[in-house]
Amino acid sequence: MIGSRTRALPGRAPLYLSAEGVQMIRLACGLRRCGLPTLMFLLAVAGAVTIPSAGDAASPKSGTSAAVKAWTPPKTSWGDPDLQGMWPGTDLLGTPLQRNPNLGTRALLNDEEYAQKEARTKRAADTENQAYDKPGEPVSTGSPIWWLERGKPTRQASLIVEPPDGRIPPLTPEAIKLGEARDAKFHLTYGVERKVHGSNDSWIDDVLALVEPYESNLYDRCISRGVVGSILPGEPGGYNLGNQIMQAPGLVVIRYEMIHETRVIPVDGRPHVGSGVRTYMGDPRGHWEGNTLVVETTNFLGGKLGLLSHGGGTPYSEDLVLTERFTRVAENTLNYEAMINDPKTYTKPWKIAFPLHLNPNYQMVEYGCHEGNYALEDILRGAYAERTAAERVGKAAK
Amino acid sequence: MRRYDAGFAALCAGVLLIALPLSAHHSFAAEFDGNKPVRLQGKVTEMEWINPHAWIHIDVVDPDGKVTNWMVECGPPGILIRRGFTKKSLEVGTEVIAQGYQAKSGDFRANASSITFKDGRRLFVGGSNPDLQENQGKH
Repeated sequence: MIGSRTRALPGRAPLYLSAEGVQMIRLACGLRRCGLPTLMFLLAVAGAVTIPSAGDAASPKSGTSAAVKAWTPPKTSWGDPDLQGMWPGTDLLGTPLQRNPNLGTRALLNDEEYAQKEARTKRAADTENQAYDKPGEPVSTGSPIWWLERGKPTRQASLIVEPPDGRIPPLTPEAIKLGEARDAKFHLTYGVERKVHGSNDSWIDDVLALVEPYESNLYDRCISRGVVGSILPGEPGGYNLGNQIMQAPGLVVIRYEMIHETRVIPVDGRPHVGSGVRTYMGDPRGHWEGNTLVVETTNFLGGKLGLLSHGGGTPYSEDLVLTERFTRVAENTLNYEAMINDPKTYTKPWKIAFPLHLNPNYQMVEYGCHEGNYALEDILRGAYAERTAAERVGKAAK
Repeated sequence: MRRYDAGFAALCAGVLLIALPLSAHHSFAAEFDGNKPVRLQGKVTEMEWINPHAWIHIDVVDPDGKVTNWMVECGPPGILIRRGFTKKSLEVGTEVIAQGYQAKSGDFRANASSITFKDGRRLFVGGSNPDLQENQGKH
């Protein structure tokens, strides 16, 4: 379906908002959440997210949880825990996937580090909301700051919570060899060195050879970001972080805003499809453990997508087993975690975990992406134009 | 009238300091030519509300009177809507100024690091949505 293509309507002159108006939009755009001490307590009660204990936490308030009752989530009319709603990941912006090595095994920022992060976020938000541009100010070739979305910064020092250093474990010798072999094949075929490592996709390789050193991947092509790449925020900035959960008897549906992916997850006990069926998003099967939805996904296509934002990074193998847990620990808080187990690629399993916050006002628009993707056309036409110009110069030199 | 004071100048200086690179949908460096900066002033003829990015079309008149229709790349529709910008916010015929870089292909397409109205007000800031209550009676 082609995205809505409309002519701007004649009517009133465009306006801009007062500071109060901006504040209202910010509120509507997802600043609803529980405070940090509450959140830490809820995480501790649920036991669903491996976030540091009070002893690790920099905040002295995080150990005061004993007397409060656990919250009971609502149920659907057929009796499953009700996880439905819009759960955008806007608050995750600015929290890196991997922890700064200087922080060691400390999973939360201390008060000073957190204050700095808050100040950075506020400065950036203030800048976004400037009503005027300065004439003659240099503009960049990158995407402008007003594309960003941001929520309330978190104290989490990294989205990876296992292993304890918050960093992706080393690759296996097998995965390193595979990567080298892919690079060597690329070099042999195209006569140029591959600067973007990863995918094993002939179409991408063709484009890479043409537009080196620029990347072009399944995300650029509006095809897929994979499961993990769909829920992680971009680094260091990002946008379109909507996640929506819908439920029906025997089914949970998760919709990710960017690229369009929608996962339909059976929770009726049926087995996985046969091992010959392989897809970018894999074959998910869910079940309930108490109030936690556990989703095990297998049958991935190996060698295509990685586990970083937007499906970047070292490609995972076809043996990847992804185990996700979704636990609603408060009206507005859904704890998410994903255990990544791919022994062909990583020397140890690793886990990401973070809370998502309900925002019923968050609007997702239809994401017909490929049809409107002028960028890819521009990239290819630009590359052909450059190559033609280079050939012309080459001929003239002879 | 344009408001311009020391505080505002300081804010502008801040833009350069904290303009972080974003995780854009695609590589700008592959699509646009950093050696071809453009400043396009013209009237809006159309806005395409499409993913992954919206595009505004503007008629730019050169000194000889020749009209060229340029396409200017904007943010994703979801963001524009969540910022309060709607299909009603930009009328055909509105004069805008876009600054960015021309496509490497040489086509009349450009990114838009900056899009402003003639008086310097930025598009897409906060909300340009005339339907919002806060904006009623402000025009």
